[in-house]
Amino acid sequence: MSAENAIRPAGVDLVCIACPIACRLIVTASGGGDATVSGNRCPRGEAYGSEEVRAPKRILTAVVPTDSAQFPCAPVRTDRAIRRELVKSLLSELYRQRVALPVRQGQVLMEDFDGARVVFTRTLPPDEIPSVGEPRAEAEGEDQVPGLQEAL
Amino acid sequence: MIRRTIDAVVVGGGSAGLAAALRLREAGATVAMVEREPFLGGILLQCIHSGFGLQEFGEDLTGPEYAERFIRPALNAGIEMYLDATVTEIGEDATGRSVTALSRAVGVVRFSARAVVLAMGCRERNRGNVAIAGTRPAGVLTAGLAQRLVNIEGCVPGKNVVIVGSGDIGLILARRLTLVGCTVRAVVEIQSYPSGSVRNIAQCLNDYSIPLHLGHVVTRIEGRDRVEAVRVAPLQDGRPLTGREFRIPCDTVLLSVGLIPENELSRAAGVPINEGTAGPWVDADMMTGARGIFACGNVLHVHDLVDFVTEEARRCADRAAAYLKGDPREEMIPVKAGANVRSIVPNACAPGRRNVLYLRSLVVKNDALLELSAGGEKLRTKRLAHVQPSEMIRFGLEAGAIQNINSGTALEVALR
Repeated sequence: MSAENAIRPAGVDLVCIACPIACRLIVTASGGGDATVSGNRCPRGEAYGSEEVRAPKRILTAVVPTDSAQFPCAPVRTDRAIRRELVKSLLSELYRQRVALPVRQGQVLMEDFDGARVVFTRTLPPDEIPSVGEPRAEAEGEDQVPGLQEAL
Repeated sequence: MIRRTIDAVVVGGGSAGLAAALRLREAGATVAMVEREPFLGGILLQCIHSGFGLQEFGEDLTGPEYAERFIRPALNAGIEMYLDATVTEIGEDATGRSVTALSRAVGVVRFSARAVVLAMGCRERNRGNVAIAGTRPAGVLTAGLAQRLVNIEGCVPGKNVVIVGSGDIGLILARRLTLVGCTVRAVVEIQSYPSGSVRNIAQCLNDYSIPLHLGHVVTRIEGRDRVEAVRVAPLQDGRPLTGREFRIPCDTVLLSVGLIPENELSRAAGVPINEGTAGPWVDADMMTGARGIFACGNVLHVHDLVDFVTEEARRCADRAAAYLKGDPREEMIPVKAGANVRSIVPNACAPGRRNVLYLRSLVVKNDALLELSAGGEKLRTKRLAHVQPSEMIRFGLEAGAIQNINSGTALEVALR
């Protein structure tokens, strides 16, 4: 982890990580221990800037091992940012898991870690493809499918 | 062999293909999708990090989450799905286009289609593309392959890693490998500026104190059976300063040195390729130089954001649907990359409607001026706070904005 960003009177230069625009932020100390953020183009930048200089937080994504040979990893995420210093301890908890498939996207793996829920991000195994128009053995040969073709 | 007659075949079931197929179905077209993997979603499935969907959904999604937003509707949209199937040839027949695919489940399928949407994505540049000297030991992989190993297959490619190239994939991988217990010794970038976004430098490298060597080049890979080290030297006037070369011991070298649109199939079908993007030349209808063949997503040009892939794929599908309905095609004005512009998409504009153009800069510049001109006459300018080659520039041109250009004159887009 990088050095702490203490708020200095001259201000701290940061790159906002809230979205790919990556605004260059200047965070300066204001009265009462508060921080003033400038350079942000949206409220998320202000929230990120003032939080980053006090207690940096990050969304964590990882994969947890499963009981499946076909899909050995199930991707997960925290549904909100957790304190950066807790990333390691969450990871070691996640790596101890052995998840039984099936799992669905959004299903909760861990109800509360530092105020965040850990949820699965991918449905595994993936949903079956419905056999809409899927050619079966009897579909052998020419088969006209109606559609825009008919509008001509 | 199975024969199918259908309006459109979409080649590829990743972000571009899914968005295009859904949109074509909404327009009433019959659609077949051919995907090489046994599941839908493409490269998004291995991109388990967040940062996707901020434009499209106003939410911060991971790759698999973004993919499932399209997979679920696609499964219920009545799209004929051929997974674990590879298109081997795109040709011509009496209907328009013939598409031949090999499917593990049903064997050879030959489609007679009136439109084909190319959505095959891109592939990674490899060691051969960047010509790194040295031995050829095990442990030299592309970044995307390493990402697949870690996130899908559950293997770790090595313990001590050097990443070559500072593109977003490389930066995100540096963080990911650190989180699974590898030590990322360094990221080495030949340019004097990072090729990835500043945001990823901040949250992927700085968060974990991973050294970034800008303006440096890997001069040699060492090791007999397995990688043992790389030698790195700073560049001066495009040449490595061998006197200041240093050695970084490592067992794995990961290459994040760019992506190339995957167009073997397109080339074989006679689709003209645009030098600047390495993808097909397309007009404002996203139609390639081969009639009835459309293209969108990373097969057309490499994007930074999946949200823009979705947007482009929908526009492509809208135009393909109009083509299928037999709408008259508008007279178009060719678009040319001018000063400081590496590439531009599309390569022709339709003056009667709104156009969206994507371009890449050749230069790094603050306070740049985007300038549109035709026949030496300036039409439009727009101030851009910052441009760099790794960040795609997107801009819209309202209908009528380029109405009065003489036929035969190109619209030239330049950065000053």
